[in-house]
Amino acid sequence: MVAIIEKRDLKDFDWLTAVLAIAIASFGVWQIHNATPTEGYWSKQIIGILIALVAFIIVCFTDYRRLIDSAPIFYIGGLILLFLVLTPLGVQVNGQKAWVRLPIVGQFQPSEFVKIPTVLMLAKYFGARKAGNLRLREMLIGGAIFAGPVVLILLEPDAGQAITYFPILGAMFFLSGIKIRYVVLTVVAAAILIPVAWTVGVKTGKIKRYQQERILAITDPDSVDPRGYGYHTIQSTITVGKGGLAGNQGDTETSQSVLKFLPEPQTDFIFAVTAENTGFIGCVSLLLAYAILLSRMIAGAREASDRAGMLVIMSIVCGMVFQIFMNVGMALGVLPVIGVPLPLMSAGLSALLSTFVAIGFVVSVKLRRFVN
Amino acid sequence: MKIGDYVQKLGLRVGTIQVLAFILLTLLGVRLYYLQVVRGDYFSERAENQRVRFIPIPAPRGAIFDRNGKLLVDSRPTYNVVLSNEPLKSVNVADRVDTYSNGLSMDRQFVVERLSLIKKQNEFETMVLKENVGIEDITWVEAHSLEFPELRVELQPQRFYPLGTTLAHVLGYVGEISPNQLKEPEFQDKGFRPGDIVGKGGLEQYYDEYLRGRPGYRKVLVDSKGRVQSELEIVKPQAGQDLVSTIDLDIQNRAEKQLAESATKRGTIVAMDPNNGEMLAMASAPSFDPNIFVKGSSTPEGRQAIAAYWQDEKRPLYNRAIQGRYPPGSTWKLPESVAGLQQGAITVAHSNLVCGGGITIGNKFTRCMGSHGSPPLSFAITKSCDGYYYRLALKMGIDGVIKMVEDFGYDKRSGIDLPNEKVPQTPKSWMPYIVKNEGKWSDIRTVYSGIGQDTVVVTPISMLRAVASIGMRGKMYTPHFLKEFKAIPAVGTEGESDYFPARPAVGFAHPEPKILEATPDQWDLVIKGMWGVVNGGGTAGAIRIPNFEIAGKTGTAQVAELGKDVGDKKDHAWFVSFAPAYKPEIAVIALIENVGFGGSHAAPAVRGVYETYMSLHDNGTASPETVAKR
Repeated sequence: MVAIIEKRDLKDFDWLTAVLAIAIASFGVWQIHNATPTEGYWSKQIIGILIALVAFIIVCFTDYRRLIDSAPIFYIGGLILLFLVLTPLGVQVNGQKAWVRLPIVGQFQPSEFVKIPTVLMLAKYFGARKAGNLRLREMLIGGAIFAGPVVLILLEPDAGQAITYFPILGAMFFLSGIKIRYVVLTVVAAAILIPVAWTVGVKTGKIKRYQQERILAITDPDSVDPRGYGYHTIQSTITVGKGGLAGNQGDTETSQSVLKFLPEPQTDFIFAVTAENTGFIGCVSLLLAYAILLSRMIAGAREASDRAGMLVIMSIVCGMVFQIFMNVGMALGVLPVIGVPLPLMSAGLSALLSTFVAIGFVVSVKLRRFVN
Repeated sequence: MKIGDYVQKLGLRVGTIQVLAFILLTLLGVRLYYLQVVRGDYFSERAENQRVRFIPIPAPRGAIFDRNGKLLVDSRPTYNVVLSNEPLKSVNVADRVDTYSNGLSMDRQFVVERLSLIKKQNEFETMVLKENVGIEDITWVEAHSLEFPELRVELQPQRFYPLGTTLAHVLGYVGEISPNQLKEPEFQDKGFRPGDIVGKGGLEQYYDEYLRGRPGYRKVLVDSKGRVQSELEIVKPQAGQDLVSTIDLDIQNRAEKQLAESATKRGTIVAMDPNNGEMLAMASAPSFDPNIFVKGSSTPEGRQAIAAYWQDEKRPLYNRAIQGRYPPGSTWKLPESVAGLQQGAITVAHSNLVCGGGITIGNKFTRCMGSHGSPPLSFAITKSCDGYYYRLALKMGIDGVIKMVEDFGYDKRSGIDLPNEKVPQTPKSWMPYIVKNEGKWSDIRTVYSGIGQDTVVVTPISMLRAVASIGMRGKMYTPHFLKEFKAIPAVGTEGESDYFPARPAVGFAHPEPKILEATPDQWDLVIKGMWGVVNGGGTAGAIRIPNFEIAGKTGTAQVAELGKDVGDKKDHAWFVSFAPAYKPEIAVIALIENVGFGGSHAAPAVRGVYETYMSLHDNGTASPETVAKR
């Protein structure tokens, strides 16, 4: 596969997407260094990028259609990995059993990787369908494919990671011709049911005080104990605001993360670190870079030579948009604190690898847009 | 096969996703703009507030010395266990109570109070948990530094009163600023904070501003756990100014001893230099130990001792010299004699008034203690003839008595540099109430006012000041303890924020002496009478010291009705004096509570003070001129 890189491949290769992804990841390394200058996270991240690039190139020059054909194998492999997490091979970090340690490979987070096989499996199923509105039976089968990994992840339990799977299914349904009325119905139902569930939950005590506080820290920051569960949100907001227009450019003396006011600065709150160091200018540039990257990916989806390719790209796009919004929204104090990594930025080999592999698929799909 | 080929308007759907993605990113951008551009300064400040701390460096308080440089008060380094708020933020302090009280052997209740107090403070405040700790406590805190990061040991100077109960009322004591004081604008303006040490009572309070140093601070950078990361700035403290007082410790000790040896051990002895108002001694008994207030407030025993002081019926905390108000009895006859001459009720040539063994006002007879015929003024003083002064008061009239009250300053504080001085009560202050309640001021009250009873109660300091002015022939000085505050050099760099300017030496701001107008022969006459009290067979003849001529006056102040002077309600004994009679160097007053006659109880106490004075000064002999003058 890799051996037969044709000249035309290089010409059609989506350099901009690749460069943007690498640029964002490199920018991320700088921010990880800003977050924890005295620790090795940033150098590990560089190694991670190099490994991810190898995987990226392999995926780029592999025909995605062959990979989609083999999706069931990957999918079952993924489920096995997720199952391993629940066995004694699983490793507990920060009270969460989301990691697994294997010989040779080392320790990694299957829930990050299994997104790809899930996407492929769903793309294989929905990519084969004919024109016409999505039928209930198709939705149920799609839902079943989706439920496999998500249930296993919820059993870890890692609700934050499980949530990031939903946009994939949403994109699959939406782009497989689900009736608009169902979409509208879902949105309306959510708009009604969530507040109702909240009110009922608070009244009956089903939603615990500490769970409420995570939400209240957003909606009513003054009502929560600044030293309690609202602490992360408040400190993140302070860190972001402190950055101002131009940021304080790596000044470690006053750094919120170096002084440990900002929790998890190299992973969950990497955006707050970015905001502190590069200010409004840096943050907006980063968001623009994401926007361009996403646009390139969506353009690729439009040009995809088959339905499955389009679905792969769009579900990856939706997953990324969702993660970016959840993560940055959390850092900006508008969304509750849920441990969702910021794609390409947060320290962590598993997430980095899976994101680059996903982008590799996008490039691969684009490369083969003229092939039938 | 392109997207457009599908019939499900997939292009539109992909477009929808794209637009939605951009909307979400734009929302994030708007929020970023708000946080970073609109409110950036606010969050910068919040971030700074949580990472910068000011750790105070206490300033040594000025010491207090007597006039000869003997140490009266100073500060000693002690170790305190200090509690900081920050590491306790996520701790349920109830869990700490038993650990602290066992580990530091403290009263459980006190630990509870301190913990609840520190929780109420602003973030990052500190507070003393246990004062004056020993090596066991220091070791305990060090050993548990990881477990209890909120505790640390701090070196802090603590006030020490080496004399104990001696001079306690004059010196006062120091203590933590009270919550009520913190609410007063006077203290708020000066930036006082909870836990600050201020003078309470005595010179410590009156001259707190000078004695108190200016604390410095370390401005440090801390992490989220409050651990110091680096030092940003240090401002060194400036020590307070040393106070050199006018007190002569030898005379003070003698005065304390005289009180301790008195029959009831209750009373006051005050000595002053009549030439300038410098206080040589001021003893008030019973007394208290200021060290108990400094050390004791954190231990149950100390608190009990303090409570006992407050509840003691003998009132050890109260300074009898300036807060006690007693009927002056016959000592009142001295200012009255001067006033009688000044006002022309009597003259030097014709100073005789009838004694009559007493006087009848209406149908009530008020007796004199003796039968003195028709004595002249000096004899009336020497023998303390009540009958004479009944008539003198009547002759002066109540207006004349009030004029005298004003002339001798009995309607005001003496102006001594101690807090909480009381103003005497006199016919002047009583007049409005009496007239309101009784319709008029009756003659019998004027008669009583002539012998310092009924409507007259004065502080010993006001009496001493008035009588000293007779010795000075009309020059009335303001009594004071301050001789000088020593200069303190500047600290820090001029123009910088760490600069404390030098504090210059400060002396007592002597107000002009009040002048009482009388002719030399008038003064001579009164002083002659006073001389006679001790040296001319008068009421205090027993305390005569050869070659040191005391001029004085006894007083026996009625507590109960006349003649029923028994038990607890025995009369107060007064003796007020100066010496040498015709060139005074020292004026001394004694008041002993509930012991009986002034001549037999107060006068001997005063004599002891003069003896000490003489032993310190070889010039205690009367000069030939003064002897010749008689």
